[in-house]
Amino acid sequence: MSKASTVLIYGTNLSGYRIAYALGKMGYKTVMLNRGAYVDEVRNQVLSQLPFDLCWACAYAPQRLFVGLGAMQIMYNAELLELKGEAGNFTAKIRKRDAFVNNYICTECEKCVDACPVTVEKDGKKQKAISMMPKMFWENIFLIDEENCTQCGECETACPTGALKINPPVEEVEIEAGAVILAPEFDEPGEAELSHFGWGSIPNVVKSSDIARAALATNFTGDSFKRPSDGKLPQSIAIIVTPHFNEKGIEYENCNASAQAVYRANKIKEMHPDIDVSLFCRDYKCYGKGHCRMYEQAKDSGVQIIRTEKLALSAANGEKNKISFKPGGTNDEKTVDMTILITGQRPPTTMERLSKVCGVTAESHGFCNIMPFSSAKTEVDGIFAVGEFTSPKGNPETIWEGYGPLREITSWLGGKSVEKPKPPVLRDVSYEKTRTGVFICSCFGTFSDKMDLESLANRVKNFPHVAHAEIINGCCTPSSIQETAAKIKESGVNRVVLAVCTPTQKMMKFRKTVMMAGLNPLLSEFLRLREDVIQVHTDPAKMGDKAAAMIYAAAAKLKTARAMPTLMDHMGATVLIIGGGASGLEAARYLGAAGYDVQVAEKTDHIGGMADILPIDLEGHEIQKYMTQLVDDIAKDTHITVYTNTTVSDVSGYAGNFHVRLETKDGETVVIDPALVIIATGALESKPDLYNYGKDERVMTQLEFEQKLANKQITSGHVAMIQCVGSRNPKKSYCSRVCCSAALKNALILREQNIDVTICYRDMNTYGFKDDYFQTAMKKGVSFLRFDENQYPELEASDDALKIKINDISDGKEKNISADYLILSTGMEPDRENNEAFSKLFDLNLDDDGFFDVESCACPYEDASKRIMKPFELSSNGVFVVGCAHSPRSFMESVMMARQAAGKAMVILPAAKMPPPNAMYVSEVDVSKCTGCGLCVDVCPYHAREIDPIRKVAVVRPFLCDSCGACVVACPSSAAFLRDQREDQLIRSIDGLLAI
Amino acid sequence: MANNETDIKIVAFLCNWCTFTAADLAGTSRLKYAPNIRIVKVMCSSRIEPVFILKALLDGADGVLIGGCAPGDCHYSKGNFYARRKIALAKTLAESAGLDSDRIRLSWIPASEGPKFAHVVNEFTEHIKNLGYNPARREVYI
Repeated sequence: MSKASTVLIYGTNLSGYRIAYALGKMGYKTVMLNRGAYVDEVRNQVLSQLPFDLCWACAYAPQRLFVGLGAMQIMYNAELLELKGEAGNFTAKIRKRDAFVNNYICTECEKCVDACPVTVEKDGKKQKAISMMPKMFWENIFLIDEENCTQCGECETACPTGALKINPPVEEVEIEAGAVILAPEFDEPGEAELSHFGWGSIPNVVKSSDIARAALATNFTGDSFKRPSDGKLPQSIAIIVTPHFNEKGIEYENCNASAQAVYRANKIKEMHPDIDVSLFCRDYKCYGKGHCRMYEQAKDSGVQIIRTEKLALSAANGEKNKISFKPGGTNDEKTVDMTILITGQRPPTTMERLSKVCGVTAESHGFCNIMPFSSAKTEVDGIFAVGEFTSPKGNPETIWEGYGPLREITSWLGGKSVEKPKPPVLRDVSYEKTRTGVFICSCFGTFSDKMDLESLANRVKNFPHVAHAEIINGCCTPSSIQETAAKIKESGVNRVVLAVCTPTQKMMKFRKTVMMAGLNPLLSEFLRLREDVIQVHTDPAKMGDKAAAMIYAAAAKLKTARAMPTLMDHMGATVLIIGGGASGLEAARYLGAAGYDVQVAEKTDHIGGMADILPIDLEGHEIQKYMTQLVDDIAKDTHITVYTNTTVSDVSGYAGNFHVRLETKDGETVVIDPALVIIATGALESKPDLYNYGKDERVMTQLEFEQKLANKQITSGHVAMIQCVGSRNPKKSYCSRVCCSAALKNALILREQNIDVTICYRDMNTYGFKDDYFQTAMKKGVSFLRFDENQYPELEASDDALKIKINDISDGKEKNISADYLILSTGMEPDRENNEAFSKLFDLNLDDDGFFDVESCACPYEDASKRIMKPFELSSNGVFVVGCAHSPRSFMESVMMARQAAGKAMVILPAAKMPPPNAMYVSEVDVSKCTGCGLCVDVCPYHAREIDPIRKVAVVRPFLCDSCGACVVACPSSAAFLRDQREDQLIRSIDGLLAI
Repeated sequence: MANNETDIKIVAFLCNWCTFTAADLAGTSRLKYAPNIRIVKVMCSSRIEPVFILKALLDGADGVLIGGCAPGDCHYSKGNFYARRKIALAKTLAESAGLDSDRIRLSWIPASEGPKFAHVVNEFTEHIKNLGYNPARREVYI
């Protein structure tokens, strides 16, 4: 039996959307089950976790892109009832009910709202039984209030596009799927979980996500955090990280709750420096890129950060909140106007049902169990679980995860099922007389109520550059696109002005309309009649003038428009991986197994890297076994070539077409042409200059100690550990992420041999489920002493013992420990020499700490989701940085990151050719005018220009050009131009705008 | 001071990724603002040449508004910084040509801030109304 090539995605978390996007690009069809009645009814993480309050791009873009192409189907009110069959051939029985309004053909004309005879009062506001939901990104959603709807059918009759159905039936459908992805949304703690923080009972206690929700349409601005009780701006705010104080097992800290709290505090301070902001947490867990800097910024701007073990919240006079806490063994309290709760994640409530239907099981915390060393594989073949469903996660982690399991998913699928539609044949208009047609959209007759389109059409007919003007119904539904394309063809024009609506949603549709009429899109202009005129102005005369001026300008601009073909560039299919450590090898194995040629260049004489000396990790994963298997697989795979003792000596070319010269120790050179490059050069262990390290044999780093422990050289004595040695200070302002886990891991091993262990720490950075081990270590008798960041423990070494003096801030007492070994958790540091060399070769930025700073795998909080969804995949110009070269991370995290980069490569590589990111809108050079001065090369943000060494003129690499136009302005001899925005065209349109 | 000019014209150069999209959001949110603004879309504010600004003023525009991404948030990393320099240059050039550089304004408006766009347009329109018509409307420049 042949395999099905559809993938069923249950739920709408960000990972699910990413998988849908990746699979759509690769040519597979996805069916997404949305449990809610509209896109965001069951909230996905972005809106609830991210302090950047308005971004929905990850979910929005794949839908917009692939639903229209038929590569993605979304079912609303959907539930998976039954799953039969096996991997490759699942049959899923689904119950669904379509959304009231199909927002892919809804034009947001609001005729339905006008037609509705029922008025209801909701939250003190009068509205119709069908109403518009707050904006989701740049798209409004229409919803029927079923309680009050009389089912009269007026709205359905009024809808001009047939997008509205008042009574969609409940249907049961069966779907054949090759693989199933479980991607349910995260579970936010509710009233029961947050009751002892007073949420729901004490006034003015709000969740961070409440604020995010309220700020949806306006972004997080000055007005977003008013006191709910009286609508006034609070003068004092407390921010509480609830997972730190909640009972164990109720909610889990997603990877960036602490960072989110500090981010929120910083934002509030930025807008209102006078507000007194205090932040309550147990530890500041700041292991992400840039998180420590956020902490420093918060301290600088006067945010009071209070670390406390216990905390209670009660109501105080004047609808205030009183927070009682215990810093340093004393009791203290603070009264504030408003409290913001930064909440964690509950174990998924969908788990029980899904385990019945699909056979997946829960792990000990109630999240979905996945196979060790996998990011998504469940016990059942062909069923994958991603995102917050498998463990508490933050947004960046969830988004990345979408790419990781791609190869495993596609291995269960049959042939590709989505064919890209062939572009229509375009007419050659170069020898025709310019005839411009203006097509004014009436949005199925709805604009005519708000504006006199007839007289506008008559007015523009007399403009000098206009040959034809006509009113159209629309060009955004399949039928209206055809209709308008036919009208354009019939009118015989060869330049088109479409006076329509928002290109943010509908650009592709407008372009398609013009292309179906046989015209090159460069011969067309799209105006926002609706957003720039109809919906924002009221004076009819002014509206007419403005619209006329816009059309005049567009027609004038088109006068000298020239048709040009879309450029295509060759895209190779091999990948170079620099660095043969765990992450490099993992990426190599992934891509080799997918059938791509991979070259691995390793500086030393053997592969394996740092992972070679790690026996197990905190969770007990056997790293050595995994590495042996990995090295074995690499040796067997004929697609993979490993060059040891090899360095990269020269790089030229660009994404898709790199030329790299590798040099071996013996001076031999190999030249390869990879399409993509993955940098996995890792990091180094920090060697401190503190605590007699290097002078006293009893003082060693955590990694050195681990070796000794593995070789059974430590059998007795008292072991003391100091965390954060030489890090998280202004000089090295990042957390190395692995040391707290390593300390706990080694402490637990020592306790098994009954050896006394004392861990001196600043903040215990155990994230996700790692916090369990902290609890276990306390139970097993590891003693924890906490010191202040400004007062590190002091060492007094004598021949008998290492005496450590520490001021324990948890009870405020000074303590003395006498130890036989002192272990310093020093963390990682970037391999500066190496990183600087590669940053020059590949033109990558390094962050302030010396790690690579690459947008596409950005870890800083808001950047990740904002930038990850750039319109094209190669935001880092074909270079991916993975593992510790990017930022400190554990073995497992490095491996996962390598997989996500390899997954990304797998989406890009099959293309064989790639258009420029903005299709035909690229910068070009008029060679006869170019003097080769190189100014354009300097200003180009994407290195899309270079000077041809022989002809001494600038040449454009269209593949890298994103058509910003900085080169055009910089060019002193007017040799640079943008295809659609030449200087004379822009001058014409300025003239045009001022003509009326 | 002429307060009653209602037909003043403002040419706005907006970058595609931020301010043009903010205008889009203002539109979809049905915010109302002064109708005197006319938009030229450019991909990035760094595409705006000083010539465009001077040309608009010489052609009789009463004000020129330039909108770009917030600093550090430019779609093209630093295009808005290039723009800032060019606009400083345009202002100097405008002064030396006898035009009022106060009629040129640069504003950073992120894509998600539709209300800010409406606010800036209203406020700038009011500002230009207070300045009155651009004298270049009546005078002939060679």
